[in-house]
Amino acid sequence: MTDVALPPHRSRTRDVLGVLSKNRLAIVGLVVLLLLGVVALFGEWLAPHSPTRTNIPNRLEPPSLTHPFGTDELGRDILSRVLVAARVSLQVGFIAVGLSLAVGVTIGLVAGYYGRFVDTALMRFMDMVFAFPAILLAIAILAVLGPGIRNAMIAIGIVYTPIFARVTRGSVLSVREEDYVRASRSVGASGPRIIVRHVLPNVMGPIIVQTSLSLAFAILSEAALSFLGLGVQPPDPAWGRMLAEARGFVRVAWWMGVFPGLAIVVTVMAFNLLGDGLRDALDPRQKSVIESRGHLL
Amino acid sequence: MARRLLAVLTALLLVAAACNDDDGIDIGDPDDTEAEGVLIAAISGEPDRFDPHLTTAYPSFQVLENVYDTLVQPGDDLTMEEALATDWEVSDDNLTWTFTLREGVTWHNGRAFVADDVVYSYERIMDEEFGAANAFRFESIESVSAPDDGTVVIELTRPTPNLLANIGAFKGMAIVPEEIVEDGTIDTEPVGTGPFRFVEQRPDGEIVLERNPDYWGGDVALEGVRFRPIPDATVAMTNLERGEVHWTDSVPPQQISALEGRDDIVVESVSGGDYWYMAMNIEREPFGDVDFRRAVSFALDREAITEAALFEAATPNQTAIPEDSFFHFDYAPFEYDRDQAMELLEGTGIGDDFSMDLMVTNEFPETVTAAQVIADQLSEVGIDVQIRELDFAQWLDEQGEGNFDSFLLGWIGNIDPDDFYYAQHHSEGGFNFHGYSNPQVDELLDRARAETDDDTRKELYDEAVKMIVDEVSYLYLYNPDVVHAWVPEVSGYEVRADSAIRFENVSLSG
Amino acid sequence: MSGYVVRRVGQAVVVMLGVSVIVFLLVHLVPGDPIRRSLGTRFDPHVYQLLYERAGFDQPLYRQYVTWLGNALQGDLGVSFRTGRPVRGMVLERLPATMSLAFAALFIGLVIALPAGIISAVRSGSRTDYSVSALSQVGVSIPDFWWAIMLILLFSLTLGWLPPSGYKSPLESPVGFLRHLTLPALSVGLISGSILTRFVRAAMLDALHRDYTRTARSKGLPERVVINRHVLRNALVPIVTVAGLQLGFLLGGVVVVEVIFAWPGLGRLAYDAVLRRDYPVLQGAVLLVALSFVVINLLVDLLYARLDPRIRYE
Repeated sequence: MTDVALPPHRSRTRDVLGVLSKNRLAIVGLVVLLLLGVVALFGEWLAPHSPTRTNIPNRLEPPSLTHPFGTDELGRDILSRVLVAARVSLQVGFIAVGLSLAVGVTIGLVAGYYGRFVDTALMRFMDMVFAFPAILLAIAILAVLGPGIRNAMIAIGIVYTPIFARVTRGSVLSVREEDYVRASRSVGASGPRIIVRHVLPNVMGPIIVQTSLSLAFAILSEAALSFLGLGVQPPDPAWGRMLAEARGFVRVAWWMGVFPGLAIVVTVMAFNLLGDGLRDALDPRQKSVIESRGHLL
Repeated sequence: MARRLLAVLTALLLVAAACNDDDGIDIGDPDDTEAEGVLIAAISGEPDRFDPHLTTAYPSFQVLENVYDTLVQPGDDLTMEEALATDWEVSDDNLTWTFTLREGVTWHNGRAFVADDVVYSYERIMDEEFGAANAFRFESIESVSAPDDGTVVIELTRPTPNLLANIGAFKGMAIVPEEIVEDGTIDTEPVGTGPFRFVEQRPDGEIVLERNPDYWGGDVALEGVRFRPIPDATVAMTNLERGEVHWTDSVPPQQISALEGRDDIVVESVSGGDYWYMAMNIEREPFGDVDFRRAVSFALDREAITEAALFEAATPNQTAIPEDSFFHFDYAPFEYDRDQAMELLEGTGIGDDFSMDLMVTNEFPETVTAAQVIADQLSEVGIDVQIRELDFAQWLDEQGEGNFDSFLLGWIGNIDPDDFYYAQHHSEGGFNFHGYSNPQVDELLDRARAETDDDTRKELYDEAVKMIVDEVSYLYLYNPDVVHAWVPEVSGYEVRADSAIRFENVSLSG
Repeated sequence: MSGYVVRRVGQAVVVMLGVSVIVFLLVHLVPGDPIRRSLGTRFDPHVYQLLYERAGFDQPLYRQYVTWLGNALQGDLGVSFRTGRPVRGMVLERLPATMSLAFAALFIGLVIALPAGIISAVRSGSRTDYSVSALSQVGVSIPDFWWAIMLILLFSLTLGWLPPSGYKSPLESPVGFLRHLTLPALSVGLISGSILTRFVRAAMLDALHRDYTRTARSKGLPERVVINRHVLRNALVPIVTVAGLQLGFLLGGVVVVEVIFAWPGLGRLAYDAVLRRDYPVLQGAVLLVALSFVVINLLVDLLYARLDPRIRYE
């Protein structure tokens, strides 16, 4: 069967890395993300102080040698909190996006490949979720499931699912009638087999790009949910939550907001830079206009 | 095309900015036709409805405080004073109260205020089919009648020394005219007898009141009041500093010390009667064990918790009632003492891996802040605390179903101790969700509830409170101050301990 | 074409029905009892029971849904638990504020995105391209509530140019309306602009690499004409799609920004309704937002079909 038509993707992997390695911004993004990965894994060891130990007489201290990022309204060391929170924020991003990726891509593949009634039913269902105001959907889901980091991931994951379904379906439609897919079908390969072996590898480009962009947005969504008091439960630190707490202190302790804010900006930018780089590499003609919901505005 | 758009936008921004020619205190927009003597008050929430018997929202009462009257009302020291009633007498058996009404009072719609209005309002609150939020305050009232236009008689089922607080503590028991109930406008266009007349609630949420020229309490200086809901405290303060509003009650505690040094803003605070506390679910182990609860009480540093939650704007307290109140009982048996806590904990037999949850709500962010300090302090004595932050609707459900290890909450607008000690610590109390039951306390609270001599009544409460505190039915934490801020042009405003906001004696200069 | 229109409209109706089921179920699944929430901490059990039955909660769920849907189809969205007022009025009253904020934000977004994206694509790989990319990255990376607070501190507190919060009706005071609109619209528009910039750049790059562009260039047309007449026109199709989607999201309520600026929009109304478990208001608000989203999507699709005659109406 493979001699009938070889999916063109494998030969491309090296090209992609080649293009990517020439994109300086994407490399910067990648390096930053690797560093963040290290912080996420070893945050607790890297942190100079306990992230939850309160010290009221020592509250709202500006940055100093002992507390390079200052202390918060309960006297906790902000540097330590920022470092330890890296894991939470990255977790939210990866698990939430992983969830929408798995569900959304499956729906998109099935809808796009089988078309007709299956397509209409699945995609209209996705439209229903899509038409729902994002943040209200997330709030409602969190209210049903109860607040907390795990449920915040589920809520964000559900909100982002339709985007993946749409992106995938769109790409599948253009691949469905390609020669190698027709060929496999003509030799009697089963639907699921064709989808996994031939369709999926050839629609990965837009999906990878969408994934990296969604990771950025998911981290911002955590911030928005934390702003509303959902999401990570105190006293555990999370960047969004720290930023939300700092809101009342912008005028008395700027450092409370600036450092977790910078952490978010750097991480989100790193994901975006990598995403743009991947897009240039995987989709040089910028054929796919990636759908974006923006973060939960 | 793009460049042209950019130019248009820049122009618009400049126009918008240039239209602002106010430097310093000038209220609102120059194109606005706002009268000179109109005070603009920033309130933190939006009123829901204006029927005083149905609403439970504080923002609604902030407005209604200035529109309606009760028969009697709390004075500056929170003792009950005359309002629509000028005088009252209690029968020898303490079961009949006769109120003499003020003469010459008219409703905002021009009709004369009469005793039947009082009867109508109270019967409305007591009507089982109506569903008034404060019906429980009328629980000891047998009947209300009006022998003549100027007299109201209340018959009781048992002596009720705090009747005046029950019918006058706040505007939830306001006297309303029947006609606006009949025509259904009470929720949108309240008509009262108070210092200000309700004009409208605008689509943007702002509530407009105008001076009542016929106010029974004398001349009102302000021409009107506009209540402007601004949820974010930082934004509310910015509005005040910019002179967009004259007054606000959302003053972030962390900014108070900085604000106090300024001459363009006045900040005043009084110690309030609210209290915040922690409760443990006595029906669950190990919280049913007095030693465990006492251990927790010893393990907490109330000073630190208080300061963490509200900076300088609160006073630690081990009982409910603050120092300057008649019913204050000076009792503070718990000194922050980790060793004693550890000792007590050893006897309770909890394991090393013991963990409890502490339920808080982001409706009151100070509970979230305090909980983090409490969790940290309890970890020092080997208790792991998991904080559960819920929204208030869910919080109330969990509390109602007894689904908690412990929780933090406050109790606000307190006037008479029967109100809260009975509800929270009597085994039949309506707010005793943590399951405290002590026959001696029950008996003392029952007696105090019907005791007509103030001093004896206070002694009964002192005795009950001592047990409540010793057995840690509630772990009382602190009394917050009431803090309001305004621009110097505002004069005559008094911050009240019951957080009621009254603008009748306020004037605006400049 | 008309068959296509009918089909799309039919699908939109199905989607709306689905949304109504989802919102109804979700709202009733959320723990937290609306009656208890409205009564607060002290109440009489009798009063509770009375209000519970009055709200129809003693009925089975499907029947509550059927009743609600039947009324909703006749334009009656029920009565708010919280205010006792008809939901329809409460929701419609908030529409102007939400729409003006959404359109203003989209306007600002496009004003930023069109020039930035076009220049970035035309000079792809240049220093300008990098700077635009970097700026748009920063724009997307900052949470909206942070933008909001920074803008208030800068334009309102420090410079004193604009009011920090509130809303004025455009009919009452057009200038006041614009002045109050500027900061919230900027907070949202800067983010929208950053997102849209990336799409404009991508769409332009795509068009730049197409055959018709090459043909136009080979004919020796000046670059300006090539860009304006050929590239831009073709790039417009995807840009319109994305801008439409953005508008849909913006109409969905910018909850956080509305809360900070005390902007009386639908997002804030719906958010308050969640907190208060005011089912009728929440259902009404979500339905209206979903409806506008679906309608905009429909319009974009039809516009898309007009802009790009190659679309097949299968």
